[in-house]
Amino acid sequence: MTSSAVVFMAASWSFVLGLTLWSFARILKQQK
Amino acid sequence: MSTGTSSNEAWGSRIGLILAMAGNAIGLGNFLRFPVQAASNGGGSFMITYFIALLLLGIPLMWIEWGIGRNGGRYRKGHMPGMLAAIWRHPAAKYLGVIGMVIPLVVMIYYTYIESWTLAFTWFSLTGDYFGRDTQAEMVNYLQSFQGVGDPATRVHAAWTPYAFFLVTLGINIWIISKGISGGIEKLARIGMPILFLFAIVLAGVVLSLPAGPDGSTPWTGLNFIYNPDMSRLGQPSVWLASAGQIFFTLSVGMGSLQAYASYLSTKDDIALNGIATAATNETAEVVLGGSIAIPAAVVFFGVSGAMAVAQSGSFNLGFATMPVVFQQLPLGQLMGAMWFGLLFFAGITSSVAMLTPIVAFFREEFGMRREPVCYTLGLMTLVFGLMHIVWLEHGFLDEWDYWAGTFGLVLLAVVETIIFIWVFKPENAWRSIHQGADIQIPRIFKFVMTFVTPVYLLFILCWWGWQDAWPILRMERVTPGSEFYVLLSRGVIVLFAVVSAVLVRMAWKRNGYNDRAGFREPEPRPEGAHEVRL
Repeated sequence: MTSSAVVFMAASWSFVLGLTLWSFARILKQQK
Repeated sequence: MSTGTSSNEAWGSRIGLILAMAGNAIGLGNFLRFPVQAASNGGGSFMITYFIALLLLGIPLMWIEWGIGRNGGRYRKGHMPGMLAAIWRHPAAKYLGVIGMVIPLVVMIYYTYIESWTLAFTWFSLTGDYFGRDTQAEMVNYLQSFQGVGDPATRVHAAWTPYAFFLVTLGINIWIISKGISGGIEKLARIGMPILFLFAIVLAGVVLSLPAGPDGSTPWTGLNFIYNPDMSRLGQPSVWLASAGQIFFTLSVGMGSLQAYASYLSTKDDIALNGIATAATNETAEVVLGGSIAIPAAVVFFGVSGAMAVAQSGSFNLGFATMPVVFQQLPLGQLMGAMWFGLLFFAGITSSVAMLTPIVAFFREEFGMRREPVCYTLGLMTLVFGLMHIVWLEHGFLDEWDYWAGTFGLVLLAVVETIIFIWVFKPENAWRSIHQGADIQIPRIFKFVMTFVTPVYLLFILCWWGWQDAWPILRMERVTPGSEFYVLLSRGVIVLFAVVSAVLVRMAWKRNGYNDRAGFREPEPRPEGAHEVRL
């Protein structure tokens, strides 16, 4: 993979996974 | 003013709600359409425009639709005519809402048919029916044989096969919808979504660990193909439109189903955090998992140019012809194939059951009908019109519905609902409504985005598509000679649905004595203990 493709993939995955983990962490915190 | 018959239904739990909402959003587009769109529209540059569209269109529309739905739920309105009339006290509001009844009905009919292909191919994988047909051309022929199109002399399936699988798929859909929100749809999401994610994770793991193919391509070559940025494409409007279109398809916005699900929430329930959690779950399924299966696998076995050729020949060829060829080269290929098509089936069914929800809600709330008879009647109707798709598939009957309802219609409904919820209801009221019961404070920049950017973006897409596609399609410039009658017939059915829906809405308003200018009266609160779980 080219370094620019790695950057785009890493940024894309980090964004969606980060948003998912953050939102579910908030939901679980609210439910406690 | 009476409020009609209330449904008195509710979601069982917050996680169940999010899974059902995410199930509604996660569909065939996540695993078939997304990688093809990314690869054909500049890879990394597509991803930039995709995330911009997610932030400026997708997420704001999620909040807008959750807001419209929950506001409608205050008056026990789980359908768009009622939801829009609850916001805009004008006689036209209910008729604009008819768009939100026709679109889910039309899409549900042809989507269930496509979903039946995934069920059929799950069966064909388990039984190894297509094993031995190990070239792309042979599998395309196999797919066409199943669909009943192409050269009759080369067909390998009995003529009744697509009908049988459609009947079974439709039966499962109607049975689940007839069980209700908590007892049917939420249960399906609780079972189907974990299976979907499990299958997707296993398949992505298998694909990403494949050794190099005949021309030395690895799965990482495939990921490079998807993500390699061609920044020169950023200046092309087609890339921006493709990414905006993908955001629409993937989040199921502009459909009417998301609003129907949200109508079963109370003003004490959060929609701000739930909305973002739903969108994020869908994006994980699409970007992380959807991008890591079909294209990387195709690149390993066919090289970049071969995968590009397959991708450009259509998403269905990639999913239903290329992937089976790939599975035949893998250990436990039958199981892998069954997991792939099983994954698509669960992605499809968790979306299709959502599409009939607003229609069922309309008949229950406005005409006091029981859920089961409504579901069975709608099932019969779906069967009749679905058969038209099977019989006339090669005449473009399905393509016509997919364009007018599943593409143009989504943007049209999104424009209408955004203008009504944001501009007519006023941005301040919309913002306050979304924040009622909210567990998070949405950054204020999104108020500006929802008020100005999202509506303008939507209007731009609508006008561009209208000029670029809708007008030539309307003039039948791209219709295969000999198929003109079927295309007109298919449009006629959509018009018929719209007219019948408008008449039914008028009858409902008369029957229940609604006054457009006075608005709906809030019904009596649910009995104590009927809705104890705060979502």
